[in-house]
Amino acid sequence: MTTPPVAVNELVVHVEQTLPMPLSARFRCAPGQMLALVGPSGAGKTSMLRIMAGLMRPGAGRVQVGEQLWCDTAQGVFVPPQKRHVGLVFQNYALMPHLNALDNVALALLHLPPGQRRARARHWLDHVHLSTDQQARRPAQLSGGQQQRVAVARALAREPALLLLDEPFSAVDQMSRHSLYALLAELRRGLNIPIVLVTHDLNEARLLCDQLVVMDAGQVLQQGEPASIHRAPRNARVADLVGIQNRFHGIWLGPADAPGWGLLRWTDDRNTDGSGTVLRVPDKGRLDPGQAVSWVIHGEGIHLLATPAQQADDFCASVAELRHLGEITLATLVLQLAPGATLQLTLSGPQRASLALGQRACVRLDMALVHVMPVRQLQ
Amino acid sequence: MDWTALTLSLKLAVVTLVILLPLGLVLGRWLAYTRFGGKAWIEALVVLPLVLPPTVLGYYLLVSLGANSPVGQWARQWLGLELTFNFTGLLIASLVFNVPFMVQPVQRAFEAIPRNLAEAAAVSGLSGAQTFQRVELPLIWPGVLSAMVLTFVHTLGEFGVVLMVGGSIPGETRTIAIAIYDQVQGFNLAAANHMSLVLLALSLVAVAFSFVASARLGRRA
Repeated sequence: MTTPPVAVNELVVHVEQTLPMPLSARFRCAPGQMLALVGPSGAGKTSMLRIMAGLMRPGAGRVQVGEQLWCDTAQGVFVPPQKRHVGLVFQNYALMPHLNALDNVALALLHLPPGQRRARARHWLDHVHLSTDQQARRPAQLSGGQQQRVAVARALAREPALLLLDEPFSAVDQMSRHSLYALLAELRRGLNIPIVLVTHDLNEARLLCDQLVVMDAGQVLQQGEPASIHRAPRNARVADLVGIQNRFHGIWLGPADAPGWGLLRWTDDRNTDGSGTVLRVPDKGRLDPGQAVSWVIHGEGIHLLATPAQQADDFCASVAELRHLGEITLATLVLQLAPGATLQLTLSGPQRASLALGQRACVRLDMALVHVMPVRQLQ
Repeated sequence: MDWTALTLSLKLAVVTLVILLPLGLVLGRWLAYTRFGGKAWIEALVVLPLVLPPTVLGYYLLVSLGANSPVGQWARQWLGLELTFNFTGLLIASLVFNVPFMVQPVQRAFEAIPRNLAEAAAVSGLSGAQTFQRVELPLIWPGVLSAMVLTFVHTLGEFGVVLMVGGSIPGETRTIAIAIYDQVQGFNLAAANHMSLVLLALSLVAVAFSFVASARLGRRA
């Protein structure tokens, strides 16, 4: 098998192991790109991060950044973390409690002459917008968001070839979170290195990253651009993990009249009701007739109609729940034609006023945005 | 006031500290960081001198270090040393009965360091020695200080083991605690009173100093 050559500063990771926990992952991240490892806890995301940082040796695998080979079990290469020039921001920051912010960063600069360390540390703390007063404080006297900035500054002080962030948003409040987004966007522009972050929060990953790697139980289930994963999850587990709300069940009937289209019978979750509506949806030719499937529809493909149903793709429903949240309303519609199916809608603007609880409503589903996948993918 | 006994006690305490401190750091760190089968037995062995009656500990030391024991014979033949009823014997006994006082606080202090600090140090480019010097040592310092004070004070006050292994040879093995006992035996209560007060004051000052220092370190951290 040939692999494409490694570009300048590009991160290439390939890990296969069964012990102490199974891990199987292969991904690349270009410099200036941000890649998110997402998945539930225990999916192996943090282990992947530790392998990249050199804190863990993979059973078999390879970690490379540009021309620097950090780990290759086949060649017996393992560069210890001290020599990797990797910036790692720990989930709970792991700042030294006995040192103030400035000395915490200076600790990562021991390769410089003693006289230059603090000046350089100050430079990095200024870079992450920590005031001089805050720089003199110990971690315990800083807020979570400020501690995180110190941790980021310490990681940057290594002038890393790769920046790793472990659950960077989990422990900070909403306000620090938004300033952290801004900081990350700024860093990304300024540093031409790959950035990998681990998160279980998909919205954040989608918001910030160019690439998602969806992991579950140590396996990479799917990777790609956030929008494409969301539009076309590879299987039901991925759809679950990326939190797609409008997920339905059905039975694949086979090709339709035109190439690239197939027929799907909409059923309830036990696939027992055969009288469900038949939909005409895009077909990639990977499914067998009679196969139980899951299908999703992207939010952009659901339109609320002002007039009663007129076309085959229009469905009547009643409003089961309305939740008003700030500038948006989350609506749950119970569809009349399809058994047991509920549709989640996010409404904003004038549409919000058009629905009332218990009211009849009609929606049109844009079948071109339906994505059908097997219920369970065998591995 | 038996100044010779006091000086001997102070000398014994200082030499014990100097030898036991590095040993305690190594053993305490090892016990804090490593997991292995039978670790509980090693830990029990470390604590044993604390719970054994001093006479039992003294008896075993006497038997194992005495002139007729293999260790005693070896020391006489190869080192030209007697290991009982002299300062060397006293020092060996002191090292043994102070093991729990030195190792336990140091081990607890190492255990209290969050695991990921060493990893953060490694990723920041620090070698093992640099991590020890710049991260671990400052963080365990309150524990080390309290271990040192406990060991020091405990050496000044130990009586039973010292008497069993060293007897009461003036200038050689008669520590202040034994001098006090001798004075009481000789009905010289005024002298006993005098020396007891000195020992009491010394111990109180040492322990209070360790508390004050720990509190100050605690505020800084």
